Amino acid sequence: MEVNGAILEIENLKRHFGGVRAVDGVNLTLSRGRITALVGPNGAGKTTLFNLVSGFLTPDDGKIVYRGERIDKKPPWFIARLGIGRIFQDVRIFHNLTVLENVLSVVKDNPLEKPWNLLRARKYREFGKEILERAERWIEFVGLADKKDEIAENLSYGQQKLVAIARLLMGEFDLFLLDEPTAGVHPKMIKKVLDMIVKLKEEGKTIFVIEHNMNVVLEISDWVYFMNEGRIVSFGTPDDVLGDKTIRAIYLGV
Amino acid sequence: MNYLLHILIMINIYIPLALSLNLLVGYTGLLSMCHAAFYGIGAYTTTLLMVNLKVPFFPALFAGILFSSLLSLLIAYPSLRLRGDYFVLASLGFQIIVFSILYNWVSLTRGPYGIPGIPKPSLFGFEIDSLPFFFLFSLFFAGITFLAFRSLYSSPFGLVLKCIRDDELATIAMGKNTTFFKIWAFVIASGFAAISGALYATYVTYIDPTSFTLDESIFILTLVMVGGAGNLKGPLSGVVFLIILPEVLRFLGLPDTVAPNVRQMIYGGLIIYLMRKRPQGLLGEYRWR
Repeated sequence: MEVNGAILEIENLKRHFGGVRAVDGVNLTLSRGRITALVGPNGAGKTTLFNLVSGFLTPDDGKIVYRGERIDKKPPWFIARLGIGRIFQDVRIFHNLTVLENVLSVVKDNPLEKPWNLLRARKYREFGKEILERAERWIEFVGLADKKDEIAENLSYGQQKLVAIARLLMGEFDLFLLDEPTAGVHPKMIKKVLDMIVKLKEEGKTIFVIEHNMNVVLEISDWVYFMNEGRIVSFGTPDDVLGDKTIRAIYLGV
Repeated sequence: MNYLLHILIMINIYIPLALSLNLLVGYTGLLSMCHAAFYGIGAYTTTLLMVNLKVPFFPALFAGILFSSLLSLLIAYPSLRLRGDYFVLASLGFQIIVFSILYNWVSLTRGPYGIPGIPKPSLFGFEIDSLPFFFLFSLFFAGITFLAFRSLYSSPFGLVLKCIRDDELATIAMGKNTTFFKIWAFVIASGFAAISGALYATYVTYIDPTSFTLDESIFILTLVMVGGAGNLKGPLSGVVFLIILPEVLRFLGLPDTVAPNVRQMIYGGLIIYLMRKRPQGLLGEYRWR
């Protein structure tokens, strides 16, 4: 498989809510192992596009192909199992669980998630040890080793985002959909979160990120899609897209 | 001594009910108001097989567990779509339906007349008819239930249930088919409730539908809420506390005419107090907000 081949292809994707065409014929391609940013004004349909890709909404028309497989009309848990992981705008970690439990909960195909396998739990003891080690490794990777037994609710918002990232790493996801990873995060933590995103790329993950902070987009992304009123109106390298006058006019009103 | 044994037996009978409801309430976050229905289904299935078809206790018990688990799919189905208040209403509806069937299908259940003369269980031809033996017998089932739920609660299966409780959407986004987990939570919880039903029926040797009403469902829920949801010791402490409490109140020497009312008021006050001051119950860990 070539490094920068397409991992996700979206073709003429449409979704409307009543009369509002939230996503109106979007075409885009994500390259494997790259950070692709999705920018655009509020209400452009960015989050709707994420909901369509992750299966929480079904498209009215169009195709979504992930690694050669059509995934539109598939249930969200199925899409997640194929390797598309998501971090929501409001993080959505499991608040009453510890950091370690949060990370452990996403293990893919854990045999002990099937209640009948509990009758021969001994057989899976090795597996349990192995996933515990893996979970601890990923928690350390995101820099929260000392918070491992902390209830997730008690962490700062930025730290919660890091837990969400550790969770996706544990779940062996390949494509990360990040919805405004820096929003609401303390300025001191933003750098940490961004470093982490770049590290994810180094781990070979593909990242699709919605971001409002233009400096962030310029700094981390390899490719940018600009979305307005449900359509992709421009795409290219960050410098090209963000340097474009019409884009600046739509986005910043200058 | 017999009095003490009776209380201990009642505690053993309620342990499967409380621990199994905790799987739904404290783990999956589904406030189920129909646990007494499964308790009743277990009691009636076992009883009818034993009385009418002379089936021995153990096969009758397994049939009760199986039937109760099967019927739980009826309430598992709405839970897949309904959350919060709407699920509570659906479970309330199920409770009412089951009670009505038990009450009105007279040709099968004898309705309000109840079924007397339920045989005591027997083990290898040895009939368990004395209190000490029945205590050990019920302790055996309470013990098995305890071990089963201890392993369920701490398992990855239990962990995913907790995730569903905290945030179902996020659980789905992590690749978990939450339908699978919820259905199994119901099947397991209802099966264990049926064990209590079979024990109760063969202990008291008489059942009628009034033992399996909405009031009873609320009582089981109270065991979990007062004791505390989301772990093992919470529901257990709830069972011990709420089964012993009325016995303690008995020794206060209140006149017979006011005693039941005072008891109800103490229950009510206790729940309000706990909800305000200790939402996680006596020893639980999950806070009701």
